[in-house]
Amino acid sequence: MIKKITLILIMLFTVNSFSQTATADTAMVTSVKDSPSVVVERGPYLQTGTPTSVIVKWRTDTATESVVNYGRVLGSLTKNETSKALTTEHEVTLSGLTPNTKYYFNIGNLKEVLSESVSGDMYVITAPTAGTDQFVRAWIIGDPGTANAFQRQVRDAYYNYVDTTATNTGKTDMMLFLGDNAYSTGTDEEYQSAFFDIYYEMFKKSVAWSCLGNHDAYSADSATQSGPYYDIFTFPKEAEAGGTPSGTEAYFSFDYANIHIISLDSHHTSRAIGDPMYNWALSDIQNTKQDWIVVLFHHPAYSKGSHDSDTEDRLIEMRENFMPMLEANGVDLVLNGHSHSYERSYFINGHHGLANTFSLEEITKGGNTVGANGKGDGKEDGDGAYQKESTEPEGAVYITTGSAGHVSGGELNHQAMYISLNKLGSCVMEIEDDGKGGQNMVIKFIRETGEIDDYFTIHKTGVTSITDITEPEVENGRVLYVAGSDLLTIKMDRNERLKKVKIYNNIGELVKKSRKKTINIGKLPKGMYAIEITTKNETYIESVTIE
Amino acid sequence: MEMIFYKKEDMQNGIKRILFIVTLFLLSAQVFGHGDLTKRINEKTKEISKSPNDFRLYYERGLLYQQHIEYTKAHKDYLKSRSLGNTDKALKYRIAEVNYLAEDYNAALKSITSYLEADGSSDVKAKKLEAQILFELRDFKKSLNAYRYVINNMKDLRPEDILEYCDIILAENDENHEVALEAIEAGLKLLGPNTLSLQLRKLDYLKNSGQIEKALEQYNYFILEYDRREFWYYKKAMYQAEMNRPKEAIISLKLATGTIDRLDMKFKNMNAILKLKEQIKNLEAQLK
Repeated sequence: MIKKITLILIMLFTVNSFSQTATADTAMVTSVKDSPSVVVERGPYLQTGTPTSVIVKWRTDTATESVVNYGRVLGSLTKNETSKALTTEHEVTLSGLTPNTKYYFNIGNLKEVLSESVSGDMYVITAPTAGTDQFVRAWIIGDPGTANAFQRQVRDAYYNYVDTTATNTGKTDMMLFLGDNAYSTGTDEEYQSAFFDIYYEMFKKSVAWSCLGNHDAYSADSATQSGPYYDIFTFPKEAEAGGTPSGTEAYFSFDYANIHIISLDSHHTSRAIGDPMYNWALSDIQNTKQDWIVVLFHHPAYSKGSHDSDTEDRLIEMRENFMPMLEANGVDLVLNGHSHSYERSYFINGHHGLANTFSLEEITKGGNTVGANGKGDGKEDGDGAYQKESTEPEGAVYITTGSAGHVSGGELNHQAMYISLNKLGSCVMEIEDDGKGGQNMVIKFIRETGEIDDYFTIHKTGVTSITDITEPEVENGRVLYVAGSDLLTIKMDRNERLKKVKIYNNIGELVKKSRKKTINIGKLPKGMYAIEITTKNETYIESVTIE
Repeated sequence: MEMIFYKKEDMQNGIKRILFIVTLFLLSAQVFGHGDLTKRINEKTKEISKSPNDFRLYYERGLLYQQHIEYTKAHKDYLKSRSLGNTDKALKYRIAEVNYLAEDYNAALKSITSYLEADGSSDVKAKKLEAQILFELRDFKKSLNAYRYVINNMKDLRPEDILEYCDIILAENDENHEVALEAIEAGLKLLGPNTLSLQLRKLDYLKNSGQIEKALEQYNYFILEYDRREFWYYKKAMYQAEMNRPKEAIISLKLATGTIDRLDMKFKNMNAILKLKEQIKNLEAQLK
């Protein structure tokens, strides 16, 4: 018996790519009418979901037209989008959709439907309008692409979780891949077996997003935006889904409900301060008004797993260059892969040094942990949730979760980590209202066994108040304006004499002059203005927002 | 003391389970253990010791050395691979690339020229490397020609490509801002009119070429295009102050302050905003 096992063992060693091919699932076509002459080999899968549009992609074995039939009622797909160009790589954009709405769809060509789901499992739910405060669930998958049994176990554990969870059962708003989606080199064939054949059920009803991993980069070239990774994914280059236009699919951002998500390329693209990706990320994060900011990139800022953030250049650069900027602008959650383990930090801020310089005893404003609960477990039923008050917007949790396909160990002793596990699994992020005007971001690490080995909550107050209720104070109180009024009044002291008033618009252009204390501004467009008041004694400039 | 006895069948099952786990672990480590490049290099070295005349193995180890930033060793492996009969054009490209990375630009040029001659000068990636090598050799005219080919032929340009092209334009003639600006405009048409890094570079060129009004218009573009304008108002104010336009600068600062006042509390208290408020205060004090 033992001899037999040894023989099998030797045979396994000789087959280098055994684990990527031998156990791959067979691609499934949900339902096919009358054995169509064209076979769908890949997909359909959903890309770049926005409140009003989504891209549907699929591959066929022979070149044919592209047709997506869609509608709000299953069995009554009354709308369609068609491209008559013959292709095997189909990409159809559905636009003019209603936000936060479920659309069933099927795919085909001009003659027939090639793939559909009679049971209604092929659909897209459009993204909510940016800023919407509602329940959101994201499945976070790091370094999954082994195509082996481990990857499927992790997948099945999540499927089971989402199908049995009490809240919003079956709902996965998005999939966030953290790179290394297909080992070993991210080729198209490897993507087929480790990506499409594994997650096909979820791909046809949830939009997939990703960042570039080093293994994806073996076949993909960010410099030329070419290779399987860039061919497979269609990401927003022109801020189609919110955020700031990056002009590249290597790094981009998007909004979903009240979350702003930034995806960075920590592998190919320069990570230097002042270089294009940094400048873009800075402008992007400083332009969002979303309640939550989540950032994903492959190389972890903090890790002592199969990669060491103290010694590896990409990891160090992301930590030293990007972390200070992201933290200064309110990042809440940072998701990384690369190390094939699960490492989850305390609620931290301002730690940009080596692992052994992290100290739990230092608190915010130049310290390492944030708030009274920052050095706790973050569990509502434990030390308490991490608190992010609207008056104290510091603090983030860093998760390295690269064990969705395999584990690789490591020292796993980074001091910034509350927990480090050499276990298979993926994460789920759920954002839900707290019933008091705030929200909870709950993250769970779901093992391949279905057990939840870690969880924590970031509680944020003041989510529902979009703007500051109190009217801005007018400096010196010289300009009196009541919202909605057509009149603007200049207040003067008795011993002062008004000489002139100049009104400048939001780009500093002079739009009105007056010598009166009460000025009719009814014809001015709404917006911010600067008011220059010249009296006999001095000149003042104040700002006012006309509403 | 309690003694525990195991049945033979249980032991065999136990061994079977252990071997299965070990097998999967080793397979995982072998195929996916990229975390340790040194380990992979060692494995490749072992393979080479078994097949010392296999040029493929030297090429593969060279790639690993290159990733490990050991350019001398990578170069040596590439040359060995070539001496053993590797005539693949990819090897020529890698030799050029590793020479470029090792800053041996003359050798890099020789290699990439040889590659391009063999390839009929059509490989965009190789032309880009040629342009980069020529740039380092300060042969800006030739570098510009090579990069022009890249810009005209690359399927999916990135903002970084346009910016690199502009760098070469200005290296060739540091007063050639108009040509660089034309390249930026062409890039904006190709990549999208609001591509941030190109719009930022446009601003730089307008400022550097003394086109003050156009530079201010460019600041206004950012102010109007962005949802949050406080940072842009401040940057505009700094430029106006630098251009000796204090009143205009103060207007921009007032608009910046007004914009911050309208922000949600959670943004007002972010470190970046607290720092910005301090900067506004300082600049206002300087302008008074």
